[in-house]
Amino acid sequence: MRDLVVKYLSKGVSRRKFVTSLTKAGLTMTAAQSVLSSVTSATLAQTGPAAPAAGAVAAATGPVKPFQGTGGAAFAEQLIASGVKYVFGNSASEDAEFYEALVDRPQLKYVLTPHEGPGAAMAAGYIKASGEPAIVMQAGSVGMMNAMGQIFNAHKEQTPLVVYSYRTDQSRRAGRDGFEEVLNQEQIVQPMTKYTWLARRADMIPETVRRAFKAAWTPPYGPAYISWHSDYNNDRVRTEIIPQDQVDPRMRVRPNPDDVQRAAKLLVEAKMPLMVVGDEVYKAKAANKAVKFAELLGMPVTQVRQVWANFPESHPLWVGNLAGASLASLPYPKGVDVVINVGNKFQHNGPGPIVPRGPMFIDMRIDHWSMGNVMLTEVPLVADVGYGLDDLIAAVEQLLTPALKLKITERTEDVMKFSTMAKTLRAQITNSPDWDQSPLITDRLTWEVAKFSDPDAIIVHEAGSVNLHSFDFNPLGGRELFFYYGAHLGSGVGTAAGVKLARPNQQVICLVGDGSFVFGPTALWNMARLQLPVITVVYNNHAYGGPHSRVINNVPGGRMVQTGQFVHDYLGNPDMDMAAIAKGFGVDGEVVQSPAQLREALARARKHTVEGKPYLIDAQIARKGVGWAENPWVPPIRVADMRTKKV
Amino acid sequence: MSFVRKAVLALALAPVLAVTCNAQQPENKGLTVLKAKCFQCHTDAMWRDHRQGARGWEATIYRMVGRGGLWTAEEIKLMADYLGTDFGPNVPRANVQAR
Repeated sequence: MRDLVVKYLSKGVSRRKFVTSLTKAGLTMTAAQSVLSSVTSATLAQTGPAAPAAGAVAAATGPVKPFQGTGGAAFAEQLIASGVKYVFGNSASEDAEFYEALVDRPQLKYVLTPHEGPGAAMAAGYIKASGEPAIVMQAGSVGMMNAMGQIFNAHKEQTPLVVYSYRTDQSRRAGRDGFEEVLNQEQIVQPMTKYTWLARRADMIPETVRRAFKAAWTPPYGPAYISWHSDYNNDRVRTEIIPQDQVDPRMRVRPNPDDVQRAAKLLVEAKMPLMVVGDEVYKAKAANKAVKFAELLGMPVTQVRQVWANFPESHPLWVGNLAGASLASLPYPKGVDVVINVGNKFQHNGPGPIVPRGPMFIDMRIDHWSMGNVMLTEVPLVADVGYGLDDLIAAVEQLLTPALKLKITERTEDVMKFSTMAKTLRAQITNSPDWDQSPLITDRLTWEVAKFSDPDAIIVHEAGSVNLHSFDFNPLGGRELFFYYGAHLGSGVGTAAGVKLARPNQQVICLVGDGSFVFGPTALWNMARLQLPVITVVYNNHAYGGPHSRVINNVPGGRMVQTGQFVHDYLGNPDMDMAAIAKGFGVDGEVVQSPAQLREALARARKHTVEGKPYLIDAQIARKGVGWAENPWVPPIRVADMRTKKV
Repeated sequence: MSFVRKAVLALALAPVLAVTCNAQQPENKGLTVLKAKCFQCHTDAMWRDHRQGARGWEATIYRMVGRGGLWTAEEIKLMADYLGTDFGPNVPRANVQAR
């Protein structure tokens, strides 16, 4: 046996041959594996740190860093090399060697999140607000499944979120229905990710990590999922750690010059062009270019549902967000003959196309996959929209004649007339006969928060059926919006925590519905622990207001309306006290009913945040709309009547 | 407007028209505004079962201002008055399906 060990250590026999020989010598498979493990560990301990392989020595002069240690430590080292500062995670004992590695790597900060869903939302919020990479990790299968809702959101919102969870099965015990084991775990998230991969060996952990970040951050962005057998974290490995910029092209693509010329010609010749902006503008930090382009053509601008506000809402060429399902529903402009999309995903929820048949359509975005899926496309421009706007501006400038400039000036004046009038009409919202009522109406709460917000506040909005107004969002240094495009609920509080972590010097206000709030309040605890002074405002009408209205829309005049029996929407009886929930997580808060109470509460919230503490306002909101009773009907499930024993 | 869209709009408006219109009378001004400035975003299925007075309807329409609706105060009053009469608290729900 001694000879066999010497042969193995001198690489005279493979691991498999070594184990086979031991079993032939009479050892059980378990005993043979144990001997192998002992021999390997003792050898690595004796060789000491960093005995690089021949190839690694050559590379050591460059950015490639040879590494020797546990798989968990290799994981941590590669995250640092990939630019990660924060790891958002929920406890997982199989990641012990990773946690061990963090002790001596303080630059990699682990944020413990008490639930995987809000934890993933926090990571995504941080990534969206900072533009920097981060990773979220959780226990294999069971934790991953809790995070899946937010992976879905990252998928829909195209957030470059990298997700890791180990596989609970050990590489030598896989497929035995082990603890927390589910077959083909990585396939569960595959449809929601750009890239899903299982590291096949422990020394491939760093390469797998690099590839995940490359996939997630290559436009169009999206989540990536990586996994490996949990014993790989414990294995000793020799591998390479490589800075992310050595493997990640972060490609930015210019549009086809011929197509740019065609698009420019269509736009300058249009009687009434219309620009739709989308999140690729924000991601490319190109809002200033979008403004310049709109002004160059005197072109009205709108936006279809997105995460961010991508154009200044106070700009005279802004004609408002699209409220209906088609651009034809805009009150202005009419007679649009050319539409240009700059970076909007166009989420279609109805059968008709958002860009109606008729106007010629120029579609510019890096997310080429969805081009032409629904809309007829005259000019497709696959590009980073920042570069694309540069090229379009240059092309249009070359085509402009004095006559065209005059036409554009006249159009600009026409658009400005509308936007001035629209601003006046929108301001009438304060004339509602219910304006001063208590409990508050939704619009009063929104208006008060808008008046209260700092000029550069960030509003994280997960109040589903609440339409925000009065904020005048402006990506050019004004108030910013972080909406929830993905619609998996429970993202708002976590997102706000992540945004505040990324932007500590801006006021962050989280607007959340009561239904959404109770899906994911645990990030309040992170706000308290990390001293993230976020103001959370809950629109609490003790109901799912959106589903209530939409159900009636789907079954008008039905039995639900006749009887007042809605089984699906009333969250009262008993009412939930969100301020009490917040206190349980270490966050001060209060319940308000009236406009006066709200103003006082907002002042207290500001005082708290100045002192570095989060605050929550549970604002009581009146239920409005068809079919709401003063005391809504509750399904008659009375367990008290079923009890035969008082236990 | 295409034939299909006209047909869809006519179907959407049919219950309103059935309750409110009389071929011999000029159309109510509130209804005219409603038809011109509400149905580009939604049909009447969302509210035709609602019954409330003009003040309640006024509040409802102001909620739509928060959602992007653009009307003058006069237009809002015209619509609220119309709805408060034809869809007032004592008007039976004509469209409720008997089952």
